[in-house]
Amino acid sequence: MIRSLLGPQNRNLWFWVFVGPFAVGLALFTYVPLLWSVWLSFFDAHNTVTPTTFVGLDNYVSMLGDDAFLSSLGTFLLFSAFIVPATYALSLGLALMVNRVRIAQAFFRSVFFLPTACSYVVASLVWKLSIFNGVRFGLVNTVLGWFGADQTAWLSTTDPPWYWLVIVTVRLWLQAGFYMILFLAGLQRISPRLYEAAAVDGAKPGWQTFRHITFPQLRATSVAVVLLLVINAFQAFDEFYNLLSDARGYPPYARPPLVYLYYIALGSEQNLGLGSAGAVILALIIAVATIVQARWFGLGRKED
Amino acid sequence: MENALVRAGRALRLVLLIALALLFLIPFYLLVRNGLATEADITAPDWTFFPRALQWGNIAELFADPNLPMARALLNSTVIAVATTLGTLLLASLAGYGLARIPYRHANAVFYAILGTLMVPAAVTFVPSFVLVSSLGWISTLRGLIIPTLFSAFACFIFRQYFLGFPRELEDAARVDGLGYWRTYWRVVVPNSRPVFAAVGTIVFIGAWNAFLWPLVIGQDREAWTVQVALSTFTTAQNVNLHELFLAAAVSILPLILVFFLLQRYIVAGVERTGIDD
Amino acid sequence: MTDIGRRRLLAAGGGIALTGALAACGSNTGRSGGGSGPALSQWYHQYGESGTEQAVKRYADAYDKAQVTVQWRPGDYDRQTAAALLTDSGPDVFEVNGPTLDQIRGGQVVDLTSAVEPVKDDFNQAVLAPKIWQDKIWSIPQVIDMQLLYYRKSMLADAGVKPPRTLDELVDAARELTAKGKKDKVKGLFLGNDGGAGALGGTPLHAAGLSIITEDGKTGFDDPAAARTLGKIHELYADKSLLLGAPTDWSDPDALTQGLTAMQWSGLWALPQVKKALGDDFGVLPFPKDGSGGKDAVPVGAYGSAVSARSKHKKEAVAFAKWLWIDRTDYQRDFALSYGFHIPARISLAEKAKELRSGAAADAVSYATDLGHSEPLLWTTAAKTAYQDAVSRIIKDGANPESELKSVVRKTNAELERVKKK
Repeated sequence: MIRSLLGPQNRNLWFWVFVGPFAVGLALFTYVPLLWSVWLSFFDAHNTVTPTTFVGLDNYVSMLGDDAFLSSLGTFLLFSAFIVPATYALSLGLALMVNRVRIAQAFFRSVFFLPTACSYVVASLVWKLSIFNGVRFGLVNTVLGWFGADQTAWLSTTDPPWYWLVIVTVRLWLQAGFYMILFLAGLQRISPRLYEAAAVDGAKPGWQTFRHITFPQLRATSVAVVLLLVINAFQAFDEFYNLLSDARGYPPYARPPLVYLYYIALGSEQNLGLGSAGAVILALIIAVATIVQARWFGLGRKED
Repeated sequence: MENALVRAGRALRLVLLIALALLFLIPFYLLVRNGLATEADITAPDWTFFPRALQWGNIAELFADPNLPMARALLNSTVIAVATTLGTLLLASLAGYGLARIPYRHANAVFYAILGTLMVPAAVTFVPSFVLVSSLGWISTLRGLIIPTLFSAFACFIFRQYFLGFPRELEDAARVDGLGYWRTYWRVVVPNSRPVFAAVGTIVFIGAWNAFLWPLVIGQDREAWTVQVALSTFTTAQNVNLHELFLAAAVSILPLILVFFLLQRYIVAGVERTGIDD
Repeated sequence: MTDIGRRRLLAAGGGIALTGALAACGSNTGRSGGGSGPALSQWYHQYGESGTEQAVKRYADAYDKAQVTVQWRPGDYDRQTAAALLTDSGPDVFEVNGPTLDQIRGGQVVDLTSAVEPVKDDFNQAVLAPKIWQDKIWSIPQVIDMQLLYYRKSMLADAGVKPPRTLDELVDAARELTAKGKKDKVKGLFLGNDGGAGALGGTPLHAAGLSIITEDGKTGFDDPAAARTLGKIHELYADKSLLLGAPTDWSDPDALTQGLTAMQWSGLWALPQVKKALGDDFGVLPFPKDGSGGKDAVPVGAYGSAVSARSKHKKEAVAFAKWLWIDRTDYQRDFALSYGFHIPARISLAEKAKELRSGAAADAVSYATDLGHSEPLLWTTAAKTAYQDAVSRIIKDGANPESELKSVVRKTNAELERVKKK
């Protein structure tokens, strides 16, 4: 009996010696809170984590009927529509240029990668209080002022929605270098023979080679980059919170799902049931989206 | 003709790269400029490229400000980042190795259960996590700030992918010498995997140093503030001193930039190996 | 840290700070050295005015029936306390911008009626009212905060503008001041970086002669006048008369004192700072009335001292709260007037305060007494958020006020229904 539990050569035992500590910790600090959240979502849990009033699916119904929640999902879609292509294009472009440059390659790579070391808190601070400060001494306003433009309140103007410029550029600056490194790694794996063969076939260096050799060869990297970009965009919180929140709360625009839920559950509203219901809906959306994307790109098949 | 075109293209690329590099460096320039300026310099209607007189006194002022325990916050962040890095490396690499190399009937199920947590944003389970940690009595303690963050599914995933591609011959040789899983792991696998440890370690370190949401709710007492929390708190405090804030921000990224330059080649090498791009 | 803190204090303060520093000797958490009895922890949000922190530690140290530890908490205080009240590591006694109705209904705070009852009539009734639910008192008002409109006399005179006494005049004044200040990049009015949605709250409703929640517990702004008044604030925005994106928000008078704006909506707490920077070159006004049924409006409110229901020493915690905020009128006076600038919540203390008898301060006090309105307890966070979102859309996006308000009314009615249950 015990023998069969331990497995051949005590393999089962060793598996759990290696994986056990990690698995237990993960269960305690991720699965327990997760199940607790699910449980809360079926209760009227104002200002309590041990509620007694069971309300069934009421929280889900009111969350799905909540315009603000739905518009927060719209905000996420819009944000992704900006940030995913922008980061993709910039980081690929940087990688292509850095890969080919002959002077100070290491310097350029470091400069573009350096923002990875910055936190969203620091970057948001610089963006909010210096670059895109709405008053006359903001950097962008100063520069525009040289050309006679009026000062713009970048973060509080909703028409046109200038705040998107601030939000997208801060993340772009922070993450472009990381993905550039991924692309650089991908580029270096492309066999030089492919380029030689293409040259023999008369393909001109530049656009033609990029379209027919480089880009298709980067497919795996591209897929991974897009997946990571989308997942990270979905979890965006820090820069939104640090750029737009104030003592009174958060404005009704540029409010992504996590920020909205944070205010419902942890704000002075403390509606933990409703917040948890929203969180469960979000987790489901992320799970479905990830699986669909993975299937779509044919990822995960290798695993089995 | 062709040659001239190629050369023109090359020059254009270089100019573009330099322009972009300058653009990328602007935030760092602003941190230093505003951090070492007087308040009046910063808010002056006309832009000064650099303050006329650098205010080195700002540094002393920053560390003496009783409202912003900067020295303490730096210490906390260092302890937390180092402990988180070491702990994560240990736990995640063991788990990754077990999942990749020890045959077990339910290994796949365990792996997917771990991978699945990647889809759950931390902020979703936030409130119960907070209550859980507080019921352990860990609010405002280093334990509370470190232990719950040690179980990184991401790091585990990277290690598993890496160990799947680890050359079997090395392990087989160890097996012939009579080493079991445990000793094979420590004597053969770990010494031959330094780059991936360095890579994951650096990424975890950066992440731990820059973490915001968790330290914000767990590190409530000012004795437990990390630099990020101190900075954010200071931004929302009633009277903001711009120069002090920028200087604090500059100081907060200094250790990371150091780590970054020392270990950059590991990060780059690591990213290439980790398999997330595969 | 302790050492540096103490040195700074000695350098900065006079006698009062000295006592505070000595009392806090050897501990920067404020744990009292002497005293017997159980350990209590007391939380405050961070006051911007220097000396306040030392003062409250001094009060705590003077209490001899318990060891009171003061925690001074910068940052998002409301959220910190809300989260901490769910756990056992929260405070025993804490100041709170409320408590909110859901905190009371959730049984998170202790009934303080017996402590307050004997002197109930001595409190400013406008700020005491939101602390009462089902005839019980849930926190002791500490000091009155109020908001009002500051203006630079010289700038208004330069532009030939009279201090505005109606909302229409305010709109015109802001427009003219902005035009006049264009070359110096000075805007007419600052209502906060969000255009006023957060800072003004329900004030425009009161200016229109309405209320947020009526006496009998119904939604008070289901009225065309509400939409009309809010539309005029959009006018301010559309005219580009508002300062937006300032480095500090409306609660800080920097925008006014640094000359970024000619008029600013801010708090009474800013008065000493404004006076120091501008001397006599400023005046204060209530939010001006609008329309025939309108009334000048001044929002007032009070942080209250509450006792957590999770406290292990509830009885002692209540006794301490009563001692400090009911019995020790000398400390209450010191707290209100010696550091920042607040009106004591006790009428008897406010009347005696000579600091409040002249100049802009006297104007402010009379506005607070005659025109003050506070946020009703029934105005739940969910309803408030819906209202603020709507006001923000009305002001900044020019959304239709009627339809926006209609959905807020619906939400508010639903919330009122919810809290009436049980």
